[in-house]
Amino acid sequence: MSEKVNLNVNGLEIESDPNKLLIEACEDSGIHIPRFCWHKRLDPVGMCRMCLVEVETPRGKMLVPSCTTEVSDEMVVDTESDVVKKAQEGVLEFLLINHPLDCPICDKAGECPLQDQTMAYGPGESRFVEEKRHFEKPINISEIILLDRERCILCARCTRFSDEISGDPLIEFIQRGNKTEVNTFPNEPFKSYFSGNTVQICPVGALTSTSYRFKARPWDLKSIRSTCNGCPTGCSIELNSSQNKMLRILGVDNDAVNQGWMCDKGRYNFEYLNSDSRLKTPLKMTDNELVEIEIQDVYSELAEFIKDRQTKVNFLLGSNLTNEDYVAFREFSNTISKSERSFYLNDDLLYKGFFGENIELAKIDDLNSSDAIVVWAEDLKEKLPVLYLRIRQAVKNGVKLVVFGHTNETLSDIADVFYGKDMVSENFEILKDLSKMKEINNLVAGKNITAILGKSTPYQSDESVTKLFEFLNSNANSKVLNAYSKGNTYGAFQTLENLKGLNDFVNDISKDNTDLLFIVGADPIGRSVYSNQIKSIIKSIDTVVTLDNFNHETSELSDYVVPISSTLGEKEGTFTNIEFRTSRIDKLVPSPGQTLSDWEFITSLMNFAGLTVETNSLEDLNRKAYENLDSSLSPVFDNLDKPSNLDGMINIFNPKIAASENKLNKTMFFTGEKLYGDSATERHSDSISMLGSKKFIEVSESVAEKYNLTSGSCILAQDELEVTVSYEVNNSFPNDLVYIPTNRRELNKFDFSREIMIIPSQVKEALNVN
Amino acid sequence: MKETLLLTKNMRDNPEDSHLIDSYEKNNGYSTAKKTILESSPEKILEEIKASNIRGRGGAGFPTGVKWGFLAEDEDRYLVINADESEPGTFKDRILLERDPHQLIEGIIITCFSANIKEAFIYIRGEYAKPARRVQQAVEQAYQKGYLGKNIFGSDVNLDIVVHLGAGAYICGEETALLNSLEGRRGEPRLKPPYFPAVKGLYMKPTLVNNVETISSVPWIIENGGKEYNKLGVEGSTGTRIFSLSGHVNNPGNYEIEMGSSFGEFVETLGGGIKNNKKVKAYIPGGASAPWFRGDQLDIKMTIDDVANNNSMLGSGAVVMMDEDTNLVSAAKSIVSFFAHESCGQCTPCREGTTWLEMILDRIASGRGRTSDMNLLLDVCDNISPGLSWPPKMTTICPLGPSAVSPITSLMNDFRDEVESLIPTKVLL
Repeated sequence: MSEKVNLNVNGLEIESDPNKLLIEACEDSGIHIPRFCWHKRLDPVGMCRMCLVEVETPRGKMLVPSCTTEVSDEMVVDTESDVVKKAQEGVLEFLLINHPLDCPICDKAGECPLQDQTMAYGPGESRFVEEKRHFEKPINISEIILLDRERCILCARCTRFSDEISGDPLIEFIQRGNKTEVNTFPNEPFKSYFSGNTVQICPVGALTSTSYRFKARPWDLKSIRSTCNGCPTGCSIELNSSQNKMLRILGVDNDAVNQGWMCDKGRYNFEYLNSDSRLKTPLKMTDNELVEIEIQDVYSELAEFIKDRQTKVNFLLGSNLTNEDYVAFREFSNTISKSERSFYLNDDLLYKGFFGENIELAKIDDLNSSDAIVVWAEDLKEKLPVLYLRIRQAVKNGVKLVVFGHTNETLSDIADVFYGKDMVSENFEILKDLSKMKEINNLVAGKNITAILGKSTPYQSDESVTKLFEFLNSNANSKVLNAYSKGNTYGAFQTLENLKGLNDFVNDISKDNTDLLFIVGADPIGRSVYSNQIKSIIKSIDTVVTLDNFNHETSELSDYVVPISSTLGEKEGTFTNIEFRTSRIDKLVPSPGQTLSDWEFITSLMNFAGLTVETNSLEDLNRKAYENLDSSLSPVFDNLDKPSNLDGMINIFNPKIAASENKLNKTMFFTGEKLYGDSATERHSDSISMLGSKKFIEVSESVAEKYNLTSGSCILAQDELEVTVSYEVNNSFPNDLVYIPTNRRELNKFDFSREIMIIPSQVKEALNVN
Repeated sequence: MKETLLLTKNMRDNPEDSHLIDSYEKNNGYSTAKKTILESSPEKILEEIKASNIRGRGGAGFPTGVKWGFLAEDEDRYLVINADESEPGTFKDRILLERDPHQLIEGIIITCFSANIKEAFIYIRGEYAKPARRVQQAVEQAYQKGYLGKNIFGSDVNLDIVVHLGAGAYICGEETALLNSLEGRRGEPRLKPPYFPAVKGLYMKPTLVNNVETISSVPWIIENGGKEYNKLGVEGSTGTRIFSLSGHVNNPGNYEIEMGSSFGEFVETLGGGIKNNKKVKAYIPGGASAPWFRGDQLDIKMTIDDVANNNSMLGSGAVVMMDEDTNLVSAAKSIVSFFAHESCGQCTPCREGTTWLEMILDRIASGRGRTSDMNLLLDVCDNISPGLSWPPKMTTICPLGPSAVSPITSLMNDFRDEVESLIPTKVLL
């Protein structure tokens, strides 16, 4: 540890770490210096000049920006002198002369740093009598972000975020001097997965989102801290509601996890909560039609079924349940059958992964302290977006990056070594002997490595990833982050033993071993690559009960449909992220209609069936979930609600995953998911409904050539199924490879183990004419 | 008074072809560089530069030898010639680039040899199309002769020169903005600290940034010795200097003289006096950023220190005369307009303040001023340059904002009556 330095600020002696910026050192000691451009997570630029303070120098007192000045020992600083106050008033007057002062219609009013600091430090009146600067207001810079350049104070927070943090600098300063404005480039919208962060850090109302615009005033908002359950990164978030409607989600600066950032899907995929299409009453299949039924009748009819101890029950659980929900299903299952059983998770990428006594599991923060990061997984920007940001941050701090796989383009631009198609075959196998590759050996041999490992597609053999893992394990001091990418997968790991994936579900489940199937928060027919097989399984099973927020292709074939609360904002519970950090999921808005939490449904059902119920409340389930852990370290509500544990508690865990390898035939097609798709929640969230609706495929150059793809679109055909898609040629693919994003309706319906025809649309048109 | 021609001798003697390598070499051109490379040592060159006591000709007047000595050690170091001459009233570098580019190149060769630099950049103002063409041609000729490139003059010394044209921004004359622009970024001054060019300059490598005139002086200094150069001019302002004279004078133009005579003598003799025998109301001693002198201050000596002691600066050597008929409010307004137009837009006080000052001056000049504008003008200036002192303090990253304040403080200190006379008395606000 380096020694502390002592400085004198406003006559007070304060202590600080060396190399800290003056503005931070003062902040740590409770001395607030006003600022606009400075942001803890961005490089300082010293542009707004609001944080000027007086520092004593050999040449007398000097005004210096505290956001670019490092502390030094015996520094004497005045943040409140007359000169400083005059400078602050001056800067605020300058910022306001061209500001429209349209606070009465501005979303930011009430939580606006410009407003607040004008009140605290401003001159109180304006001496500006000329015409203000005018711009067209506001302009759409993407489908979801609007920019009002009149309100902008040119602090460069948005431009720095997109340049330094997200790495897609689509928003920049143009012009100069008094004409300077922030804008996008011609014909290049601000199409970033992280654009919502710029709205959150904008210190004025210049950047607004279509989602929240004109919806509420900040002083009317209720807010609560929670955890995003969109992917296993588990970003800390704040939920905002007004009049019992969820209106906004903000990122919370959890230093160890998301550092305040979020992806746009996490930020805006909540609007479905307020959708009129939500399931609000239980339904029962009667004469091939789902008709409304009282919940008591669902309970009593299913209870009859369950009382018969011969009934064979199975569960297909979605990845968006809380840990308490998972425990409720576990307890239910244990009560009705003592034999060991499996739970099936709605995840076609579930495989055994790298866990065990001899494997050290990594934390997200290990990325920053590693010598190098090695990645082979799905495209992290698409699947674990904020983890992707943390990798970018580590690389910016000097950590080396090795990336495998032709499907990981989004990291290739910052990778020190990118092993693309020359190294990884079309079947996702490593082509060359790693021990003979000089670059990777230089970067990893004997070094501290964080390996992020996962399968890139369900059709990838486990062996190929294992090969990389074994190389790293024997050559480097490696820690592993298993990159499963679905919601609360790690919570399921922690609470359910013998967890299996969809591949096993298809192989295991049939009417012979299942009379009653619960499908919870999952639409495997509408979403997974096993759509057709699962459809016939479900059709064959006697009674299928689906629990979900919306009707979907799977629920439409069910015997009972139970409307449930959304894990986002409508439930309490816990969530476990990729590093086994468990944190709070909290409730802010009432659950609509007759919706109820999964655990409430299953517990009530047990009571109706007269089963012994040990866990009758959420608290019981929460305690039960962590009963094996040391009570002071376990993430039970009492512990998580302590202020020191708001960022979550890590309990490294070695799950027993029973998933078996997918042995399907490999074809030229491989599947995956993009960040945005067209699931029910996405379709019913206005902001992002258009972002994932486009049906497209990516093809290698050789495929485009072979199939004479020239017109921009083509038709995928197999048996009776024909889907028109646009295509993009992806040069990083090896020959003869086609990527199909299956989180779009219809595209998951093909049998990917058999050939799919690609017909150029011009050929199809000619056929139709004939 | 007479001119002393060191830098402008070749172009005066050979007006037809002074920019061509044959003409330059006929007059012993490149012989100093050749001798230096083959016979001298970096330390000796630095000693001569220090002995000459030459101070930078770009405006700040920093001792050149000291600057070279500050350059941090690194495998990669760069020399950047600041040829972004844009200060209103200044046009001296233009003739050096256009009419004697080989003298500059020879200076670069010697400088790089002394500082162990292998790559130099000449950043030329975007509007200087002809000078840039001439410099490019000269660089190509020097490469052909083997004076640039690998093993120059047959030695083991390598040197490359890149000629780069700016895109029309005054601020790129500020050395760190210039480096940003050269790297392909927005031309905005960098934060100092931590980005001092001598430590973290071009591509974050130690970089020497020198003015065209400074480096063009190097061949003469090395050929004749630092001591000889030091004999010219006066103590603190040694050597000759090219002054760009403009405004209401009979003979505007560039004049290379030894520093030390008075502005009055300079204007009366070489400048041929004020047009139509008018009196001088005010004059700018060193470019648009410099505070003005009154007509009764013509006996101030043309040295860096004398001008500084009178609260202005010799700057880039641009002397602008304004006769008794000049509307000084309009004059100040046109200077402030220039700075408002050229502000990079980074710092709030400069971005917003300079335009506001321009608007207020415009109102006063057009008879729409208010009595409260007198204090307002000074207070807005104070918010850009606290205390309105000289040398200026600033609330900004670079001195561009305070430069717009200079003419206004001059106006308000020395010609307040003239400003007040333009404000309609009936308007009491």
